[in-house]
Amino acid sequence: MEVSLEETQKDRVEQLVDYIMKWCLWQFHSRAWDRERQNEGILTKTRQLLCEEPVELETPADKCYWVDAVILARDFKATYPWLATMEKKDIKSLMQGLKERMDFLTITGSLNEELTDPKY
Amino acid sequence: MPYHKFKCSECIPEREKHAVTKGPGEDLTSCLPLGYLNTIPGTISERGCAYCGAKHVIGAPMKDVIHMSHGPVGCTYDTWQTKRYISDNDNFQLKYTYATDVKEKHIIFGAEKMLKQNIIEAFQAFPYIKRMSLYQTCATALIGDDIGAVAQEVMEEMPDVDIFVCNSPGFAGPSQSGGHHKINLAWLDQKVGTFEPEITSKYVINYVGDYNIQGDTEVMVDYFKRMGIQVLSCFTGNGSYDSLRGMHRGHLNVLECARSSEYICNELRVRYGIPRLDIEGFGFKPLSESLMKVAMFFGLEKEAQAIIDEEIARWKPELDWYAKRLQGKKVCLWPGGSKLWHWANVIHEEMGVEVVSVYTKFGHQGDMEKGIARCQEGALAIDDPNELEGIEAMKTLKPDIIFTGVRPGEVAKKLRVQYLNAHAYHNGPYKGFEGWVRFARDIYNALYSPIHQLSGLDISKDEIPTEVGFLTRQMISDVNINKEETTPIEERPYTGDYDCVTKLRGKTYPRSSEPLSDAV
Repeated sequence: MEVSLEETQKDRVEQLVDYIMKWCLWQFHSRAWDRERQNEGILTKTRQLLCEEPVELETPADKCYWVDAVILARDFKATYPWLATMEKKDIKSLMQGLKERMDFLTITGSLNEELTDPKY
Repeated sequence: MPYHKFKCSECIPEREKHAVTKGPGEDLTSCLPLGYLNTIPGTISERGCAYCGAKHVIGAPMKDVIHMSHGPVGCTYDTWQTKRYISDNDNFQLKYTYATDVKEKHIIFGAEKMLKQNIIEAFQAFPYIKRMSLYQTCATALIGDDIGAVAQEVMEEMPDVDIFVCNSPGFAGPSQSGGHHKINLAWLDQKVGTFEPEITSKYVINYVGDYNIQGDTEVMVDYFKRMGIQVLSCFTGNGSYDSLRGMHRGHLNVLECARSSEYICNELRVRYGIPRLDIEGFGFKPLSESLMKVAMFFGLEKEAQAIIDEEIARWKPELDWYAKRLQGKKVCLWPGGSKLWHWANVIHEEMGVEVVSVYTKFGHQGDMEKGIARCQEGALAIDDPNELEGIEAMKTLKPDIIFTGVRPGEVAKKLRVQYLNAHAYHNGPYKGFEGWVRFARDIYNALYSPIHQLSGLDISKDEIPTEVGFLTRQMISDVNINKEETTPIEERPYTGDYDCVTKLRGKTYPRSSEPLSDAV
């Protein structure tokens, strides 16, 4: 049976999610607004690195996102050989899917009741 | 939601939402217990109080400080710094404990006068110590003693001393974690920015959320220094009071235990613009990547890579020796907070053990998110368990070993389940490459302890085999090793020193050759 492109992407997103969940901590900051910023900052830079695009390194916060992104991009490439076979536009689409899934698991679908606490 | 109901807690139905099983297909949107809530009456929690969390966990590792509790002597004694957070100044902070010894009469007439006298006497008894942290307790908070005002009075009379006031009585939160929160913010509000540290490198970090358990902090600081990084302060393991007042001059906050100290990192980011980078000192892969991340922030990749290569070449064969003998052993990972998630995946990946349960006594839902995300399918995750639930879980899951604290550890031993001290360690440090091997060695020694094997025999009813001689650990463990497989010659048990920390003290490091103009 032939696997559709959509199913392939879904399966690959889950593999990437599993990797992040097992080996990273940056996605679990304690408040929703922090998680939004972390997911956006690190996954955007990871996508840029995987697509060989320039990465902004203006602020100390940018550098922090970047170091996590460099490690993640390296690990993704080393763990999932299929990444090397993908076109850049497909990597972008994959990373967009990954960002949406991570936002759901850690923010919008999260059962963590402390995420919306207004103070640290 | 895949809640798990303990038989022993059927009479406490609220407990059901505090335990979940990570079943097939479950993720964090369907599998997360409640956490960091007030303990349910009748459940006999094993948590500590908010005063304990502030003093015993966070404040007391500071090394050049008199840690004074204003309250009954029992509060002080029970938080005497017994967690093996050593220091390089002859463990001053571990040797003594100080209390105002509040009695019933003080509850009626007030204890502020006595507090002032105690503070002055303590400084006079230790004239070379000029710093104090002062902790409120339940009794003195309830009678309204103003410890801040008393501290201020003393500082005016004794201008060479400085006192930090921590207002975190025992009732100030559901668990010790409430105290972590309070002392983080109190330190930031009162002390950060009141001291200008000397900057000696272009690369300056605060190392936050490590408490130098058996030398963990010193091992990590050694790596940073070898890269040419100045570790401005350590919050709070082996940390000095004044260096922690200078945290505002750091360029990067490197955070280990988010549960105990993310608050100060988050606020340093908001107030001083210092970014927060979460790292892990446990496990070869997480540690290597963590060192590399810190290095990349400053452009020191070559320095970091040299350290990583050297350390892995030295210690990997020894980790491999143990990993081969730990494969498939079942572990209940039952620490206090952060080791739940620091260890949940990497002990499986690098040592081959199976994590069948995770629990946290005082963690928040955020800790459980990390722990559940990292542990394997089928694991039972429990928030704030009581002793009976722990016993039931051990009987059901049949683990080979428990990583936990002393109290539940002793319970485990009575059930003939081996335990390792996850809080204070058996033969740490466990951080660092060598430390990770020491951890593997401790697990191995526990699992294959000859006396543990013998203790399974009951001489009153079991037949005692007389034809078998004494079995060493390796004779027991190597039954599981495939003899057909060629063992790489370099694989070997731990060959490091009994004490791997003291030699780091007094070591000299290369100073940064970069100009310091941008550093301050």
